[in-house]
Amino acid sequence: MDYKYIEQLLERYWECKTTPEEEKLLQDFYLQPHVPNNLEKYRCLFDYEREEKDICLDSDFDERILHEVGETIVEAKHNNLFFRLYPIYRAVAIVAIVFTLGMAAQHSFSTEKDSSETTINYASYKDTYTDPQVAYEQVASALKEVSEGLRDAGLQTEDTINIKK
Amino acid sequence: MINFRDDVLPLKNRLYRLALRITAHTGESEDIVQETIIKAWNHRNEFETSLAVEAFCITACRNMALDCIAKKERQNIPLDNSIYDQVDNAATPFQTLSHEDRKEWVHKLFQHLPEKQRIIMQLRDIEGKPYKEIAKLLQISEEQVKVTLFRARQRIRNEFEKIDHYGL
Repeated sequence: MDYKYIEQLLERYWECKTTPEEEKLLQDFYLQPHVPNNLEKYRCLFDYEREEKDICLDSDFDERILHEVGETIVEAKHNNLFFRLYPIYRAVAIVAIVFTLGMAAQHSFSTEKDSSETTINYASYKDTYTDPQVAYEQVASALKEVSEGLRDAGLQTEDTINIKK
Repeated sequence: MINFRDDVLPLKNRLYRLALRITAHTGESEDIVQETIIKAWNHRNEFETSLAVEAFCITACRNMALDCIAKKERQNIPLDNSIYDQVDNAATPFQTLSHEDRKEWVHKLFQHLPEKQRIIMQLRDIEGKPYKEIAKLLQISEEQVKVTLFRARQRIRNEFEKIDHYGL
């Protein structure tokens, strides 16, 4: 295997002319168990650099830090949402006030109108009969006709139900 | 808008490794990361991009870690000497050292670099960041990043050269 490229890469590494990708390549090169003697001595450097990347905090760190800032996060979210919707709240409040005032005004006008329409003015009524006795007999006769009509209708309905049964 | 879980929390391990690089103490590094994250979250309204959050966190973490070691120096509490003494006392040739001991030796080389070189080595060689991003994160020029990294790598290279000349 030709290690010329690795040697050149190493030289460029010391001169700070390598890219992060080339430096990663050097670290990966030292993953193989056997390399020539002249390159072997640098193994510890690249192994060290590669392994140092894996140093991490304990798994319970997240829990602790979230507990520390947890209240702030919730509070911040509430504040942000409230302030973001603030213009909408104002618009809704204005519409509600205008609507309520409009309804109140409309109700008050219609009440006045209704009261003027529904008041019975007995003085404006005029009798259609001059003799009260004739009027009484006419009304009694009309009610009798209505009563008979209703009774006939009831009997017919009963007959229909009995036939269906 | 900055989100805690997406923009701040994922920085935790990178910040931890940076703090550890400066303080060489796991417990203190963890406290520094926690404090940095809370501080960044409290300033969340000032950030427009996630890179701005990272730059803030790296600066805060670095300053807190440096304060931590300065405080220790004032109190005359030595850093974790066991890491450094272990390899210094080894009188055996480099070739006979175990792989773990060699990595410990490299660790010592890293830790003995000047602070600025150490941080740039950390961001480039461990975190794999491009020069441009390192410059933005540390608020220095790209040229300064390259020069500092060059000095750091040359220092490490010289230590490896000594192996060839003196065995260790």
